[in-house]
Amino acid sequence: MTTSTSAPVTAPSKTAVAARTKGLRKEYGSTVAVDRVDLELPEGAVLGMLGPNGSGKTTTIRMLLGLVRPTQGEIELLGRPLPEGAEQALPHVGALVEGPGFHPFLSGRENLVRCAAFEPLLPRKEIKQAVEDAIERVGLAQAAHRRYRGYSLGMKQRLGLAAALLVPRKLVVLDEPTNGLDPAGTREIRKIIGDLHAAGSTVLVSSHLLSEVEATCTHVAVLHRGTVVAQGELTELLQAGGSALQVITPDVETALSALRQAKISARPLGDGLRVELAGTSAPQVIETLVQGGARVFEATRWKTGLEELFARLTEAEEAERGMSAVDTLDGGRR
Amino acid sequence: MITRQFGSEVRWMLRRPRTLIGLFGLVLVPIIISFGIWTASDEGEGGGGPPGLGAILQGNGMVVPIFTLFLSLNLLLPLVASIWAADGLAGEAQHGTLRGLLVAPVSRVRLLFVKLFGLTAMSLFAVTLMAVVGIISGTAFLGNDGMMTLSGTTLSTAEGLVRIGLFILLVTFQMVAIGAVALAVSSATEHPLVVQAATMTTIIVFQVLGQFTSLDWLHPFLITTGFPGLIDVMRDPIPWEQIGDSTLLAGCYLLIGTGLAAIRLVTKDS
Ligand SMILES: Nc1ncnc2c1ncn2[C@@H]1O[C@H](COP(=O)(O)OP(=O)(O)OP(=O)(O)O)[C@@H](O)[C@H]1O
Ligand SMILES: [Mg+2]
Repeated sequence: MTTSTSAPVTAPSKTAVAARTKGLRKEYGSTVAVDRVDLELPEGAVLGMLGPNGSGKTTTIRMLLGLVRPTQGEIELLGRPLPEGAEQALPHVGALVEGPGFHPFLSGRENLVRCAAFEPLLPRKEIKQAVEDAIERVGLAQAAHRRYRGYSLGMKQRLGLAAALLVPRKLVVLDEPTNGLDPAGTREIRKIIGDLHAAGSTVLVSSHLLSEVEATCTHVAVLHRGTVVAQGELTELLQAGGSALQVITPDVETALSALRQAKISARPLGDGLRVELAGTSAPQVIETLVQGGARVFEATRWKTGLEELFARLTEAEEAERGMSAVDTLDGGRR
Repeated sequence: MITRQFGSEVRWMLRRPRTLIGLFGLVLVPIIISFGIWTASDEGEGGGGPPGLGAILQGNGMVVPIFTLFLSLNLLLPLVASIWAADGLAGEAQHGTLRGLLVAPVSRVRLLFVKLFGLTAMSLFAVTLMAVVGIISGTAFLGNDGMMTLSGTTLSTAEGLVRIGLFILLVTFQMVAIGAVALAVSSATEHPLVVQAATMTTIIVFQVLGQFTSLDWLHPFLITTGFPGLIDVMRDPIPWEQIGDSTLLAGCYLLIGTGLAAIRLVTKDS
């Protein structure tokens, strides 16, 4: 499948955007990390950013936050162009990028106090309370007094999340927030994202957990080899992924020939057939089958899951040879 | 806002275990020096030979802080400044905390000033601490009959304190200048050790180069060349020329270091 050349599946957006990139490209020496990324993050959306290892998620997020200068392209963050508007936009943005970063010799609480001291929107008097609230929110109250050095992976991740949530934000950017979290932690992240969404914040979350994305996100963007290969509302994308009818029948041969005559595409699958619903409808298919003499035991609408969509968009032919290769742009050009 | 950031920076530096260990080490220097002079003076009296260092310095506790800072400026104080500069940018990049500061956001230029302020405040603190401990231990071991100058006159204790204060400022400034250059290195790497190694190597190489008369033309550009001239605060009256030259040279290092660090930091990917 040549996803890099096919036109991206893009559902058009109508609402205001919290962030937008145009023709974004980043080169590290001779490595092209990201190329032609046009991303749109609608206000109030929860955008899940998906993509194999090395597909450019973190690089894109870094550019969105002004941490990395794009080689080419434009970025607009909360209505301001970057990098000029960074000082106006960034106070409203909370971020957890590429794992949490804190000082090992300070306790979790002291680390947050230091972060808070640099938050422009936080008045001096409210620092203490904001820190306690954030600690409470990520469930770190028991460990807040301990040195960061001794934190477990999940505790570190939670502290990173707490730093992103110190101030009420318009946009929260989370790069693999569930990395290293236990199931309860993953559920809590889901709840935190839900709360942010309910409070009207926009959330950008990159993740490898497709089920989490499916459960929490309203929008998705799929990156592959440094480019966006699909983006839009989750439901629309899944629908655009095509729908089919799973038919259980013992008379596979009869059914296939009947459908072929009616110019409906189908193929054998399991105990029956998978019938594509492009250009036709479920009642019509069943009518054709019954009239053709095939006994239909069961017919179910087959909906594309995110898992399948993701696989179709990103999995390359080489997937059979052991572990799939990392997903860099250069790899694609070799 | 900026005062709050300055405060946070200094507090953060003071909380580091290695800062505390470093300060403790620095404080030992004047104590060891006073003790050394004191034991030397005992032997001098017993031997009956020419008067030793200790005998000359008997009752001259006030020179201990000057002597301490003068000695430490060659190696110890640059080392401490380079450690602070290394932790300031390279160390923060290594721990991933630089990202956090930048998305807070702190503008990159302001971040550099916060770092420079932290460096200056801590240098001034360290140098003053050494001087104060030097005065106390010097007085305790050697007594205090005012400050004998290199010109042979004796200053009152009050005048001596003014000279010490002046020397504190001059030494701090040299230290900050070295730290600023170290910050420039620090902005270009993620490895604090690289910063310390580069800074200390430079200081040592400069001192070696300063020994070669064939390299006379180079000497006015080496910051280490300016160090010995600072001792002029111990003359009466003070000849300002060498002090002025040293300070001017350090000022150039400060400007260049800060400039380079700013340029690097503004274009840096993190
Ligand atoms: N600082 C850097 N120097 C050189 N190459 C880099 C740098 N940062 C990223 N890259 C390259 O850019 C590409 C995209 O990396 P990125 O970290 O954005 O991937 P990702 O989608 O976040 O992957 P993962 O799922 O593993 O986190 C990779 O090929 C990577 O090697
Ligand atoms: Mg990543």
